[in-house]
Amino acid sequence: MLNIKNLEAKVDNKHILNGLNLDIKPGEVHAIMGPNGSGKSTLANVLSGKNGYETKGEIKFDGQNLSELSTEERAQKGIFLAFQYPLEIPGVNTNIFLKTSLNSVRKARGEKELDTLSFLKIVKEKSSELGIDEKFLSRQLNVGFSGGEKKKNEILQMKILQPKLAILDETDSGLDIDALRIVADGVNSYKNKDNAFLIITHYQRLLDYIKPDFIHVLSKGKIVKTGDAELGVELEKTGYANFI
Amino acid sequence: MKNFYNFKVDNIKDLSAQEKKFRSKELDLFSKKGFPNKREEAWKFTDLNTILSKNFANITNDYISLKEKKFELIKEFDHNYLFILDGKLISNEFKFEDKDKVLIKEYDYKKQIPVNNQNSLNLLNNALATGGYYLEISKNYKFTKPLVVYNHFSESIKEQIISYKNSLILNENSKLTILNYTNTNSKNNFFVNSFDYLKLKKDSNLENILINNDRCNCYFHNYLKSDLEQNTNLDNYILSTGFKFNKIDIEINLNKEHAKSSIFSALSLGSKEHQEIKSSINHNFKNCQSYQKIKNVLNDQSRGVYQGKIFVKQEAQKTDAYQLSKALLINDNAEFNAKPELEIYADDVKCSHGSTSGSIDLNSIHYLKSRGIPEKEAYKMLINGFLSEILEKLPDDNLKKFLIAKIGRQINGY
Repeated sequence: MLNIKNLEAKVDNKHILNGLNLDIKPGEVHAIMGPNGSGKSTLANVLSGKNGYETKGEIKFDGQNLSELSTEERAQKGIFLAFQYPLEIPGVNTNIFLKTSLNSVRKARGEKELDTLSFLKIVKEKSSELGIDEKFLSRQLNVGFSGGEKKKNEILQMKILQPKLAILDETDSGLDIDALRIVADGVNSYKNKDNAFLIITHYQRLLDYIKPDFIHVLSKGKIVKTGDAELGVELEKTGYANFI
Repeated sequence: MKNFYNFKVDNIKDLSAQEKKFRSKELDLFSKKGFPNKREEAWKFTDLNTILSKNFANITNDYISLKEKKFELIKEFDHNYLFILDGKLISNEFKFEDKDKVLIKEYDYKKQIPVNNQNSLNLLNNALATGGYYLEISKNYKFTKPLVVYNHFSESIKEQIISYKNSLILNENSKLTILNYTNTNSKNNFFVNSFDYLKLKKDSNLENILINNDRCNCYFHNYLKSDLEQNTNLDNYILSTGFKFNKIDIEINLNKEHAKSSIFSALSLGSKEHQEIKSSINHNFKNCQSYQKIKNVLNDQSRGVYQGKIFVKQEAQKTDAYQLSKALLINDNAEFNAKPELEIYADDVKCSHGSTSGSIDLNSIHYLKSRGIPEKEAYKMLINGFLSEILEKLPDDNLKKFLIAKIGRQINGY
C-alpha cells in the first residue's frame, strides 16, 4: 500500500530524513518510535504533503507517486494524518467542517455527496462510539477543546473519512488513561484487513492498547532497527541509547 | 485645479426663505473647506478630494425626477419595510406590527439635528439634503419582525450627489431590528452623502444592520449619530461592501447610566474598493459600556481603514470600553490602516484596545486540506469563520442565516 524508498527530506538546508525505507501492506499496523528530533513528525508531515520540505526519493501509495498529489488529493485517496497538535479554527463549526470534509472526499471518489440528514446520522453514530458529546460538534472546530477532546476529534474524523492509511502522530500525547483507552478502542474497531496504520509515538504506552505488527526505531532520519511488538517493551526498559 | 463639482441650493425645490438662507450659509462653509483630505485627522489615511476628482468630471445636485420602480422583497425572513428611492421615502409596510405604534413620515428639515462636527461633508449634507424619513416607535412597543429599509438608487443617476437625512426615535422600552439594505448595481458614478440620527430613550433596544446587495460604482459617506439614554442597548452591524468608496462615520453618545453600545463589522473587500469605519464613542456618564470588533479581509488592491476613538469624560467612572480590529491581508497589494485613539479623563475605567493584521494561517489551511478539502474551499472556510464570528450575539434565526449567507456572497465577490 505504502512504499517509501530512500526518502530524504530537508528544511532550510537541514537534513532531517536521510534515506528512509518503509513498506506497509494492507492489514498491517506499524509503529515508529524514536527520540526527539529523529524525524518522526517530519515523516508524517511529508506523507501528508505539507509545504516547506525539500524531498528526494520515492513514496508510492497504491502504486501512485505521492509527490504528484496535493495534500487534499492524498486525503481524498485515503491518507489520513491525525495531527500531534490539531489546529483550532475559530469561526468554523465542527459539524460543517466534518460535512465539507466528508463530502469533498466522497465527491473525489465519485460517490454521491451526503445531505445533512444522512451526514448527521453517521456523525451521531461515530461520535457516540468515541463518547463525544454532540454539543461539541456544534462548537467551533477545536476551539477551547482540551487536549484529550482534540485527539478524540481526530479519531472521529478518521472514522468518518474511512481512510486506507491512517497516520497517528503522537496521538497518545496529552491523553489521560481513560482517553487513551477510548482512542485505542476507536483505532482497534476501525482496523481491518484492507486498511493500515502508521503509529508514531515516543512511548510504549499506546502500543499496550494497539498491538503493532512491526516496530521501527527511527534515529537521525533513518530506520535503524525493525522488530515485532516485543521491541517496544525492550525499548521501554533500555531506552534508545542502544540503537543510536 | 478645475472644480469637479457644482452645487446649488437653488436646485432644491420649495424652500422657505429661511431654509434657503441656512443652506446657503452651510454651502459657503463647505466651499471654503472643500472635500476632506489627509490634513484632517478624521481623514488621516484618505484624500477624498483626490479620489473624487479622479473619478468625477462634474458632480451636481440637479433635481432628480423619480420614476416608480419595482423592487424585490427579501424572501428569506418575514419583515416590515420602507422603500427608499434615491433618498426619497416612496412606500412603507408594517404588516407584522401594530400600526398605531409606528409613526413614519418624511424627514422634517425645519428640525435640524445639530452635529458637533467640523466635517465638511456634514456641512454639505446640511446644505443639500432632501428626502429621507422620520420614524418613531411608541413607548413599550417591541417590533415582532425586523424592519428592512430598501435603499435603492436609479440607474440613470450619474455624476450626481444624493444627500438626505433620516431620523429614528425609539421611545421608552421599545425594541427594533432595522436592516439598511442598499441595492444598486449602477455602473454610473454617483456620490451619496447621508446623515442618520438614532435616539434611544430609556430601556430601548436597537439592532442596526448595514448591508449591500451588489457591487456598484458609487461613493458613499454616511454620518451616523446616536444618543443613548439610561439602560439602552444599541448594536451596530456593518457588513456593507461593494462600493467603490465607503466611509461610515459613527458617533455614539452614551449619555445616561447603563447605556450600552457595540459595533461589529465584517467586511471582505476586493478589487480597488476602499472602505472606512471611523467611530467616536463618547462615554458621557458613569457605568456605560462600549464594545467594538472590526474584522476586515482584504483582497486584490483594496484598502481598509479603521479609526476608533473612545472618549471618556471625567464623570464617566466605571466605564467599560473595548475595541479590537483584526485584518487579514490576502494580497500583498492590499492595505489596512488602523488607528485607535483613547482620550480618558476619568480614573476608574476599563479601556482596552488592540489591532492585528496578518495573513491567513497556512498551518490551518494545511489542516483543512489534509481532510480532503480543496485549497480554495479551505481559504473560504477560514475567511468565513473569521468574519462570521461577529454575528455571535445574534439569535439563531432566519435573519442570522441571511446575514451568514451574505458574508459568503461577500467572500465570493458577489
